[in-house]
Amino acid sequence: MRAALSVELLLGNEAIGLGLVEAGCRVVTAYPGTPSSEILAGVIKYKKEFDRRIHTEWSTNEKVAFEVALAASWTGLRAAVAMKQVGLNVASDPLFSAAYTGVRGGFLVIPADDPGPHSSQTEQDSRLTALNAKVPVFDPSSPEEARHMIRVAFALSERFSIPVMLRPTTRLCHALQSLSLDGRPADEGPPQTRFRKDPPHWTATPKLRYKLHVELSAKLGQVEAAFEASSFNVEIKAAGAPRMGVIASGVAFHTAQQVLQEMGIDLPMLKIGTPFPLPRELVKRFVADLDLILVLEEPDACIELQLSDRTRVRGRLDGSVPPAGELTPEVIYELLATALVKAGLSVNPKPDKWGLQDLVDMMDLPARRPRLCPGCSHRSAFFALKREFGPNAIYPGDIGCYTLGTNLRAVDTFVDMGAAVTMADGLYKAGQVVGDKRPIIATIGDSTFLHSGIVPLINAVHTGSRFVLVVLDNHTTAMTGFQPTAESPFLADGSDAERKISIADLVRACGVTFVESTDPYDQDAYRRVIREAYRHSQSPHGGVSVVIADRPCVLYEPALLLEDPVPVVITQECDGCRYCIEAFECPALVLRADLSRVDIDEKICVDCGQCIDACFKGFILPKLMEREGLAT
Amino acid sequence: MSDGQGPLGPREELKIVLAGIGGQGVVFATRLLARTGIGLGLPVMASETHGMSQRGGSVVAHLKLGGTLAPLIRRGTADVLLALDPDEALRNLTYLRRNGAVFANSGQGLRPEVEDPLAEHNIQVHVVSASQIATTLGAAAVANVILIGFAAAHASFRLPLEAIRSILIEVAPHARDLNLRALEAGYREGLASSALVETVEDIVKTDV
Repeated sequence: MRAALSVELLLGNEAIGLGLVEAGCRVVTAYPGTPSSEILAGVIKYKKEFDRRIHTEWSTNEKVAFEVALAASWTGLRAAVAMKQVGLNVASDPLFSAAYTGVRGGFLVIPADDPGPHSSQTEQDSRLTALNAKVPVFDPSSPEEARHMIRVAFALSERFSIPVMLRPTTRLCHALQSLSLDGRPADEGPPQTRFRKDPPHWTATPKLRYKLHVELSAKLGQVEAAFEASSFNVEIKAAGAPRMGVIASGVAFHTAQQVLQEMGIDLPMLKIGTPFPLPRELVKRFVADLDLILVLEEPDACIELQLSDRTRVRGRLDGSVPPAGELTPEVIYELLATALVKAGLSVNPKPDKWGLQDLVDMMDLPARRPRLCPGCSHRSAFFALKREFGPNAIYPGDIGCYTLGTNLRAVDTFVDMGAAVTMADGLYKAGQVVGDKRPIIATIGDSTFLHSGIVPLINAVHTGSRFVLVVLDNHTTAMTGFQPTAESPFLADGSDAERKISIADLVRACGVTFVESTDPYDQDAYRRVIREAYRHSQSPHGGVSVVIADRPCVLYEPALLLEDPVPVVITQECDGCRYCIEAFECPALVLRADLSRVDIDEKICVDCGQCIDACFKGFILPKLMEREGLAT
Repeated sequence: MSDGQGPLGPREELKIVLAGIGGQGVVFATRLLARTGIGLGLPVMASETHGMSQRGGSVVAHLKLGGTLAPLIRRGTADVLLALDPDEALRNLTYLRRNGAVFANSGQGLRPEVEDPLAEHNIQVHVVSASQIATTLGAAAVANVILIGFAAAHASFRLPLEAIRSILIEVAPHARDLNLRALEAGYREGLASSALVETVEDIVKTDV
């Protein structure tokens, strides 16, 4: 049935990947981060399916990714860079500069925003970064629209020689939509184009930068004029000419439309697909006959900010729309209902609440906070750190699965990528000032260390900080779906890497004199190493000691466990003291409902045997030992 | 959509909320039913959970067959709730509309305190021990397929078993036999608890 229709189910990010391939994009770079990670995977899928010559790479970080793609654009090729919204902070330096220099081949910046936030440290609005950088923005409302916007965005980028942003949000990135695929798109091959020297642009000095800034502002005016006629901005009339209307962009547009449909109410709507620069004439015409305009956009106010007359406007700036959180259908329902009443419309929206939610809220349903997976080597690494250095030590952490070390009280801070190293550095220096001698034990993942940990390490070593840095090396970027790192033997599309980068070598090159690699599954050996590392850091010639906790992610390389399983049992003596539950927090260790003891959930236990050390009373034993009657 | 019953027509809409815990196969179930919708000629829009919330946390997916382009379903408007865990069923109950239906994997049913409010809103509760059946089939992972088979035996689910079956074969050819046995086992359980008159042999005799 499916094949005949040629309708496929695509994830929003895959649709973006498809759109990039269809639009003749030749270089796509990215750094993984939820909710953006599947964009590059989508490009790779379709470049293989359509047999296209496209360079794809997981770059070391977003700034690197941005500049590699920008260089391709300067040669004349179409290029794109994808990342999550906080990744755009890392890449904002070249973003602001590239807006001035302009581009040759179409250049798309694709930061995925995360209203909620679901998987991020902030709810920042990349459209406002674009506004600040003076870069035009497309704000797709569905996977299908994102796919089609890409071609138009590339054309606009080339017409005005300007970087262009395509800004999806989590709900679009992780939406699944049925899309028509019309077979392999025609391909004329990459354009025969080469880098051309162009000093007034590519090496513009401050004097020329002033000129480029003037040009950039002029370009924005022209882009706004082009956006006035864009088919991505759609006005929807309503029967009976109500005096209230809705301006919405992104996913919020479709949500608002659905909620209005459910309410049985018809309102004029203006869907904005190009929020910056805002097509102000179009908006002016739309609002002319309205007494009240509700603006629905995520995650912050970009359209609303550009409205010069906001006396009749209700949105985030006047406090009508909540300043934080996602515009879910429930939130939009409340906003519309309130606004309809304010507008004095003869409608009686009946909120369909029925008390059941209160009932459910009162039940003590288990709070299922995210936890490290059964068998995760990070758990072993954190558990040993806590046993060795105790609750008194300070544990700066970082961004990745291992941020969940906070559940084990082995992560005390996380700020942004790489900050484990800099926070440790700063905490040591502040401690020196006041005489705080507590041990500082920082943890950072392999991909995060390569992304942003090296430069902070150089700083800490050079300026004489003393702490232990544990690199939790699980051989992959696990949190976001196992993307390869610079340590991997292969690249994004599966081809061979030219050379594997060694974290140990990098650390030594940063001037670190104590570097030891050890498997945290061997808890005795690992504890000896971290103890020695701390001792070294405090010795006269010490400084920063680095321990590489080397064990592949249990999901990424499950075979390793199958080779050497250590099934365990919990003996009858277990008294339900909860120590293993609190201090080890393995999802496979389950406290019985009557609190009498802990059982092993065999369905999810992976036989890693790591919890044996988690019972200090010795009630968790290897099955083999128990069977042989060796239990005491 | 309306309180329609029977197989889903081309101009109708079905809103399904799927809930479970990371690792239970909510994503697979969502994609299976989404493709079933495509097979029935319906436009599909769904919303998945990714990232940190997948690490053992609660997982919820929204699936809309034949509806608007909004990815999420508003609380109080879903036709069906499919829950792979009884607690996640409770957590997401208020997604259901009046006259909706919940199909939950549970050995004991939902908690007694929700029975009255659900009955007041004419919400059907159908419970099956999908995990237990999955264990007898030797694969805990197929509880999701069992629950779908179970739901398909009820008129309120509105997606025909045969449509699900052909897509199941297509999306997971490597686990074809196991999946079909799971779908059939769930369907049999569903028939036993529903008022359908068709015999299971009529529906599942081919190809199993």
